[in-house]
Amino acid sequence: MIKLEDVTKVYKGEVLALRDASCDIQRGEFVFLVGQSGSGKSTFLRLLNKEEEPDSGRIYVAGKEIGSLSKWRVPRMRRQIGSIFQDFKLLPNKTVTQNVAFALEVIGTPKHIIRDQVPAILELVGLHEKTHRFPHELSGGEQQRVSIARAFVNRPLILLADEPTGNLDPGTSVEIMRLLERINETGTTVVMATHDRGIVDTMRRRVIELNNGEIVRDQARGVYE
Amino acid sequence: MPMNVDYLVKETARNLRRNLTLTLASVLTVAVSLSLLGVALLLQKGVNNATDRWENGVEFIIWVQPDISENQKNLLQTDLDNSTGISSYRYVSQEEALKEFNEDYFPDNPEITQLVTADVIPSSYRVIPAQLNAEAIEIIASGFEAKPGVKKVVRATDEISKIETATDVIRWVVLGAGIILLATGLLLILNTIRMAMFARRREIEVMKLVGATNWFILIPFMLEGTFHGIIGAALGTASVYGANRAFEEWLSSDNVLNILQSFAVGSGEVWEIGILLLGIGALVGSVGSAIAAYRFLDV
Repeated sequence: MIKLEDVTKVYKGEVLALRDASCDIQRGEFVFLVGQSGSGKSTFLRLLNKEEEPDSGRIYVAGKEIGSLSKWRVPRMRRQIGSIFQDFKLLPNKTVTQNVAFALEVIGTPKHIIRDQVPAILELVGLHEKTHRFPHELSGGEQQRVSIARAFVNRPLILLADEPTGNLDPGTSVEIMRLLERINETGTTVVMATHDRGIVDTMRRRVIELNNGEIVRDQARGVYE
Repeated sequence: MPMNVDYLVKETARNLRRNLTLTLASVLTVAVSLSLLGVALLLQKGVNNATDRWENGVEFIIWVQPDISENQKNLLQTDLDNSTGISSYRYVSQEEALKEFNEDYFPDNPEITQLVTADVIPSSYRVIPAQLNAEAIEIIASGFEAKPGVKKVVRATDEISKIETATDVIRWVVLGAGIILLATGLLLILNTIRMAMFARRREIEVMKLVGATNWFILIPFMLEGTFHGIIGAALGTASVYGANRAFEEWLSSDNVLNILQSFAVGSGEVWEIGILLLGIGALVGSVGSAIAAYRFLDV
């Protein structure tokens, strides 16, 4: 599903973000990316989304080499990838429903499908009673659920999560992780960058550790360190 | 690419409202610049019309001395008859000239016309040359200048070229100011759209993230810029139309010299200018917003 071949990324000619990284992630896997701040976890995720271009090496997403993808094809590729973030990136002037529906509207989904799918996904993430709230009226955990609903509403093949529990307390983090597990169980490949030792050690999934841009460990059913 | 009209109208209207002051600035700058361009074009058309009319009519006038003898007059007429370069001419006697003068210039002012008597106004020959060629006309006209009994030869081209020189200067100044203002308008639209996109950068970020196409993101902003351009152009066209109406009105008033009538511009020509201005406005608006969007989105 995701494959990196000798990928190197250098920012502004000097800051090394990723060096000769190679790995192969299968469909339906759940992978943790761990490592210190600045070790290249976010770059790893941004490269998969084609928000960044590698300086060398090849990246395959869903069987396609994305380096040779022309710019106008990138949006279509991104529709196969859902993304969630530490800061949620919700639109403050839209309600829960509107935030989720927005993701479908802007890719041209017909209205009747939006009307069907948005309530269904909000039910799945457990927010069906807060559909008309605005983000500032929700707790951090609830906001992250909205962002997960938005990322997953058009059933992407891959879910990229950049420290999704970074702003949440441990109890809430566990709930979010249960939700991500459920999404993974539907066959969606999940790649999650995290600093959360407790989560990694409890879940015992594949762990890829980065240090100064190099993959120093790739361990099935791994722990944080 | 599926995109519903609802969404476009909603987004464009919302952007226009959000940036009302900047929107007004862009629209008014485009309006002023395009009215200047329009006026410059109007002047050009006016001069063209005047030149056309003169070219089809009398090309030069030979004014005769008031005390010309019958003998000299006969000689002059023989010369005119024999000159191969002249297709026709008309003698305007002092009485006719007076009548023309009164009717054309002061029809409502009998006080003035009473003061002017036939012997004050010289008689003249209105000459239509065979060839409408400036050099040929010049040779014939200057040939008559030295003849006895001739007071003065006035060439139409002299008069027209005086007016042309004057309007040329005005036209270039107006055109230059118009173009500079149009460039300002383009920059203002560019800036307005950039501000609009900056104000909505979070939405744009999410749109890109979930895979909205670049066109989908760009089109509302480009429509907004095009709208600025078109509204500006519409205002510009309206003021050009108004200016032309005022000019026509002034022409039809009594105290205007007859010669200026030939500068009148038909309403068909004004509409041509209007359509051109609308086109320029739309172009400036869409180009300005496209540049802004292109640079902002880095597509």
